[in-house]
Amino acid sequence: MKILVCISCVPDTTSKIVIDPATSQISSQGLTFIVGPYDDYALSRAIEIKESHSAEVIVLHVGTAESEPLIRKCLALGADSAVRIDGNPISSNQIASAIVDYVKANPVDLILMGKESIDYNSGIVHGLVAGALGYVHFNPVMHLDMIADGLHLTVEMDGGKMEVNCTLPAVLGCQEPIAEWKIPSMRGIMTARTKEILILPLGSPSEVQLVKADIAETARKNKMIIADEAEQLIDLLRTETNVL
Amino acid sequence: MKKVAILAQTKEGQLSEQTKQLISFVSAFHPEQIKLFIIGDVKFSTVPSSVPVDLIQLSADLYADSESVATIANGLDNFSVFGIKSIQIDNMLSLLAANTKKDMISGIQKLSYSSDKFSISKSIFSGKASLELSTSTASFFSINRNFDFSRISEYSELAFKSSSSIEKTNTNKASIVSILPITGSIPLPDAAIVVGAGRGLKDPGNWTIVEDLAKALGAATACSKPVSDLNWRPHHEHVGQTGVKISPNLYIACGISGAIQHLAGVNGSRIVVVINNDPEAPFFKHADYGIVGDVNDILPRLTKKLQSH
Ligand SMILES: Cc1cc2nc3c(=O)[nH]c(=O)nc-3n(C[C@H](O)[C@H](O)[C@H](O)COP(=O)(O)OP(=O)(O)OC[C@H]3O[C@@H](n4cnc5c(N)ncnc54)[C@H](O)[C@@H]3O)c2cc1C
Ligand SMILES: Nc1ncnc2c1ncn2[C@@H]1O[C@H](COP(=O)(O)O)[C@@H](O)[C@H]1O
Repeated sequence: MKILVCISCVPDTTSKIVIDPATSQISSQGLTFIVGPYDDYALSRAIEIKESHSAEVIVLHVGTAESEPLIRKCLALGADSAVRIDGNPISSNQIASAIVDYVKANPVDLILMGKESIDYNSGIVHGLVAGALGYVHFNPVMHLDMIADGLHLTVEMDGGKMEVNCTLPAVLGCQEPIAEWKIPSMRGIMTARTKEILILPLGSPSEVQLVKADIAETARKNKMIIADEAEQLIDLLRTETNVL
Repeated sequence: MKKVAILAQTKEGQLSEQTKQLISFVSAFHPEQIKLFIIGDVKFSTVPSSVPVDLIQLSADLYADSESVATIANGLDNFSVFGIKSIQIDNMLSLLAANTKKDMISGIQKLSYSSDKFSISKSIFSGKASLELSTSTASFFSINRNFDFSRISEYSELAFKSSSSIEKTNTNKASIVSILPITGSIPLPDAAIVVGAGRGLKDPGNWTIVEDLAKALGAATACSKPVSDLNWRPHHEHVGQTGVKISPNLYIACGISGAIQHLAGVNGSRIVVVINNDPEAPFFKHADYGIVGDVNDILPRLTKKLQSH
């Protein structure tokens, strides 16, 4: 059984996002990058399945060489090999087609992704990949168990959740509590050094054009109400904001 | 935009306010045809539109089977397809986009269309920034819940031009074992007012003061991640970077420190109130109104005040 885990490499949530005035795009200077937190859940579950069912786990990232330390971290956590599709994708479709092209040439049984990347927040790359490959698709998956002829899943849906059984191959978007995040072991870090990262070129250019990026500032009132007069809050909400 | 399709969701057989606004919004572009796909029951007979609308009802279980979803794609060549962002809508739109080999953009805050070109502002980094995009090829658009529809002119209600339905195909690739709806509370993503509580509540038994306040406000309840990790509250109530993203008119945060990962889920709220006994709590910097005080004292007093009027 082959499991492909697709990871995004995204600025740490504590990062201050700034725009480079020269390009009008988000500046990557001074940002610390992490593996997308949902993608980390997907990878952790893949590693657990590897340990209990002897699967092969391949990590795939579409992005530049700057992400290699993060790909190495995934290998240190227990992934067997990695693929980096080299380029600077700007649209979900570009990322999805790169993943689809790879899978068409290198079939896998299960593709795990995060439910969404925390930079683009689109939540659609898994659906785009599943649709293009004709694979079963579920998102966001909270529990994943291997059963005799496929998977048993708990999936969140609008207004509730559902339990489903499905066959492989499948593409799943993952969210907690599907697995516990893992920390690489010393041994993992050592063996990761010799594992292969295959580099492939990014094929299709994006058909969507990026014009510019902007910072959205929400100005808050920052009004303090003393505890003794807390009830005033209700009056202020009624008179100043008309939210009540 | 000659041909437009909308994936709509219904609640108790009725269209959501945002879906109605979306229908009016697209009809202002004067398309020749609008196809309205409805997931689940239909109990309404007119839609706010100046353009004739064909209604297509999808069986509620069709959504869970990606192969059945793909069958809808056949009729969507040359259509611009819209939906209001939700789990189901994004899942279906992305499968359909892939099946029709068209680009999709999700998280849309602003959208305009002229000379066959869409200009779009997409929210990124949980609302901390935005991207301006331009496309003449993308055909699938997922519109954020807090999209500003305010400039739409009024339309009369039109009856449907035609109505039909599509059932789930029997593929045996995916089957629903059970559905567990969230009952008895207001769904978090739809709520106009949300009361959130964090580890400052100290014990799950103390949640009655949160629930009482929420009830007095007609609000949904939410929590921070540690609270759901500790199983004090159900997982689906956890808001933040790894949880639900909310954009209510009013968010009241009680005993929550205001970690950046929590803020990532609530930044879209119009008015933010913070109640915390630590004046240094980082959340106060992101508040419209702040009260330094003990939740056990403040929350019951606010509830009482609301009940007295
Ligand atoms: C990758 C990652 C993702 C994460 N995702 C999320 C997420 O999606 N959502 C999320 O919420 N967190 C998330 N976190 C966790 C986040 O960093 C914080 O740890 C968490 O939000 C803190 O929760 P809290 O405010 O309830 O608890 P605490 O930080 O413990 O804060 C409790 C607050 O209650 C106050 N308090 C205590 N007693 C009282 C009282 N009697 N009356 C009034 N106030 C009182 C305290 O002053 C304190 O400010 C994530 C963390 C990481 C690393
Ligand atoms: N550049 C990328 N390379 C590989 N996988 C990605 C990339 N971007 C996003 N993904 C995967 O697609 C999921 C959904 O991303 P998105 O649609 O951007 O929210 C992420 O959680 C990742 O698993």
